[in-house]
Amino acid sequence: MTESETVIRKKTVIYVISADMILSAETITSYQGASRMELIAKKVREEIDRGWIGPNKECPYHPSHFTGQDCTFCYCPFYPCNDPDLGENIVGKRGKDIWNCTYCLFIHRPEVGKFVMSEIKRQNITDPRDPRIKEILPVAKEKFFRPGKAVMILGATSDAGKSITTAAICRILHNRGYLVSPFKSQNMSLNSKVTREGAEIAMIQVLQARAAGLKNPDSHMNPILLKPRGDTMSQVMVEGKPFADYDVKGYYEEFVPGPGQDIVRRNVDFLKKRYDYVVMEGAGSPAEINIYDKDIANMRAAEIADAVCLLVVNVEWGGAFAYALGTVKLIPEKDRKRIKGIILNNVRGNIDNLKEGAKELEKIAGIPVIGIIPHADLFLPSEDSESFRDKGSVGNGKMVISVIKFPRIANFTDLDPLMLEDTTIRYVEDPKQLEGSDAIILPGTKNTIDDLKWMMRTGIGDAIKKMKGKVPILGICGGYQMMGRVLKDPNGLEGRKPGDTPGLGIFDNTSEWDVYRKKVVQDEGIMIKTGEPVTGYEIHMGMTDVKEKPLFRIQKHFMPDEDEGSVREDEMLFGTYLHGCFDKPAFRKYFLSFIKHDGKPVKLEDVKDYDDILEDNIVKMTETFESGFDMKKLLEILGAKE
Amino acid sequence: MRILFLGTSSGAGKTTLDALYCRYLGRKGIKAAPFKASNLSLNSYVTKSGGEIGMGQAFQAWACGIEPTVDMNPVLLKPSGNGAIQLVLRGEPFMDITKDEPMDRDMVMEKVTESYDRLTEEYEAVVCEGSGSPAELNLQDRDLANLGMLKELSVPAILVGDIERGGVFAALYGTWLLIPEEQRPLMKGFIINRFRGDGSILKDGIETIEKLTGMKCLGVMPYLNLKFPEEDSMSDKEGKLEGSDTREAFMNNLDELLDEAIRDGLDLDGIDRIASE
Repeated sequence: MTESETVIRKKTVIYVISADMILSAETITSYQGASRMELIAKKVREEIDRGWIGPNKECPYHPSHFTGQDCTFCYCPFYPCNDPDLGENIVGKRGKDIWNCTYCLFIHRPEVGKFVMSEIKRQNITDPRDPRIKEILPVAKEKFFRPGKAVMILGATSDAGKSITTAAICRILHNRGYLVSPFKSQNMSLNSKVTREGAEIAMIQVLQARAAGLKNPDSHMNPILLKPRGDTMSQVMVEGKPFADYDVKGYYEEFVPGPGQDIVRRNVDFLKKRYDYVVMEGAGSPAEINIYDKDIANMRAAEIADAVCLLVVNVEWGGAFAYALGTVKLIPEKDRKRIKGIILNNVRGNIDNLKEGAKELEKIAGIPVIGIIPHADLFLPSEDSESFRDKGSVGNGKMVISVIKFPRIANFTDLDPLMLEDTTIRYVEDPKQLEGSDAIILPGTKNTIDDLKWMMRTGIGDAIKKMKGKVPILGICGGYQMMGRVLKDPNGLEGRKPGDTPGLGIFDNTSEWDVYRKKVVQDEGIMIKTGEPVTGYEIHMGMTDVKEKPLFRIQKHFMPDEDEGSVREDEMLFGTYLHGCFDKPAFRKYFLSFIKHDGKPVKLEDVKDYDDILEDNIVKMTETFESGFDMKKLLEILGAKE
Repeated sequence: MRILFLGTSSGAGKTTLDALYCRYLGRKGIKAAPFKASNLSLNSYVTKSGGEIGMGQAFQAWACGIEPTVDMNPVLLKPSGNGAIQLVLRGEPFMDITKDEPMDRDMVMEKVTESYDRLTEEYEAVVCEGSGSPAELNLQDRDLANLGMLKELSVPAILVGDIERGGVFAALYGTWLLIPEEQRPLMKGFIINRFRGDGSILKDGIETIEKLTGMKCLGVMPYLNLKFPEEDSMSDKEGKLEGSDTREAFMNNLDELLDEAIRDGLDLDGIDRIASE
């Protein structure tokens, strides 16, 4: 980084203007040196001198937007274009209107970057302020700007395989050169992730964005996120920010007919302007006829987006033909027309056995079966709280890792990378189950104080204290807060009543919920002990006054680094706010290295980066789907080239 | 009296409801026996006469207060790996079904009918259970426990749908649609199983299904953590029974469950009426 003076911090997001990296409008206005237009002009002049470069794979930030992007114009020659299809005016910090095109990808489309540069060269333009440049934009738009198409993946049930099918279709289209965005209007999930803007969206849309080749999933892709609080209420997040709490009735009677529909519309419209395809995921079954008119996650969303729909049925439990036919037949005619294909998913055994039944179903339902997808063992995170609840343990490995199964457990996908190693993950609800553990993890929770009280009441708390020093103990987020001496909630923001709650006291820290605020941020940093990288994100209310040695160092580009977490290596105690801390190999390896069998550390084979594992599995998943799809028919329905 | 509990999928709860109804009849002093024409399971029980039957029918027999016999599950299909299935007919190994050597469906259905007839003669009520979903288009012509019971033995049926995964209305309607038209009049009622929350939210949906199919809703059952022996070959091994006496534990559990079901409004009189038609 050479031009460090050009780095500005915007809320929790950092945009770097020095390297070949896109900048947002707001960062430009906050630029403290030369005027922002002078800066851009300088950069665009360099770009014109350089000519067309295609994807800039040398750049450390590549791909900053999507795999295959054109990097010729890292700085847009049209800025500010004031074209409402490409950006919007926002009010900046000083109260002035600023042109914001953070989400615009137009100039990075391979065909657009090439065309614009060829026009500049053809007209012998060398000056970035040459008025003829602005005239290229409408020509490029006329040639290349098309509103995207929408396709929606419906499921006959929860767990039909919608999420994975959506991800597979994202990758299938991405592989064919399209710019693709996932979308789920409304998601109920305890596993959220943080976008670069510091917004919360469901974990599964982040995975789908990865399948679509996108670097930066954003809150438009999951504009409504419901986070169950553990009672009958859910916290409703809109466009990544807390909106209000509702119970089921309130949600369907107030939120949905009120702001709900508009939220879906504006976000779908937003994505359609920027992507060739918006691959939408439905929620539950679209044929819940008792709430049909109030359901904005399925056919209403399809109508708003004018989407073609595909219906996925999980064959595993039996009754798939009935589920498919019943779903199709219960959907009113005007919406049914949107359903263009049925996918029989998760078929174990010979898929040929289903072919005749599929033909008959086609005849009765009047909709073609476009895929019979074989079962595949994939290592991908699952949204599936149902199966989680019933599971006593996962895996069959040598290292037994006990995870405290809080009643309001959250972000439990943090633990997924541990399953890559030789582990058994055991979900503990009773102190007896802690016997024979090689390590203990206190995961995140939707309510730290209530779950802490639950843990003490069950006797799990005392059992953990007794195991201190014998096995490694890690707390993540809420679990980390619980490891401290005291949890102060003077205004009753977290617990039901104001007051202090004693923690496990195995760390000397104090956590406090003093005012209503929430820290939501993506983090990158290192493990202090080894200097190896860690990544993750924080989502928490309540801040911790740390009295322990820090575990991680969070690197804030051009801001002072921040210490994070707590560690007492001699007592094998670890705590962090970092969700996803096991994704990179370093901390996973480090934490597991404290596990000893017969006095010797357990040998770890080749510890891999979770991101690489996810990519391998996305490839495998896509191959599985492509093998089961009638690809010609699928692409025809999608209106995509082969 | 005779009744057939069908399910919209595996694990929909037909075994449970069958056992509950057995228990209910037993409590009323009605001499009842369970029956499942065919079972696909590795989990078997050996009767006093030394015959092998599905575990589910053994438990259901106890729920009736009687000893299990091989007539209660005349066909037991035991997957023996590498694609072959062992056919246990009336408790005795009969043959290995393979691709080249399929089952003689008509012969087997005859045995099934004999067993069923014996039970109807001996008992006042026969409580039958289907197998998997009756709407598997690829299996319907070979089916014994579902369509076999409807077509060949004309047993009136109640369809059990599991709401937990969603799509229960679609499952009920779709299943009904895929029952051959001549047998549809035997589809008398349905039960929604594993519902959590305020049942009034389902009202419109239930009415629509009643109107579309003519089946009557006989209850919306809450989510209950059932400790029943799982018998479908796909179910995992969760839900093991605790305590040394499996049978006693099961009966206590069943009694509690039946009391709950009655409290939650399971229309047992309605089922009685259908069974007595």
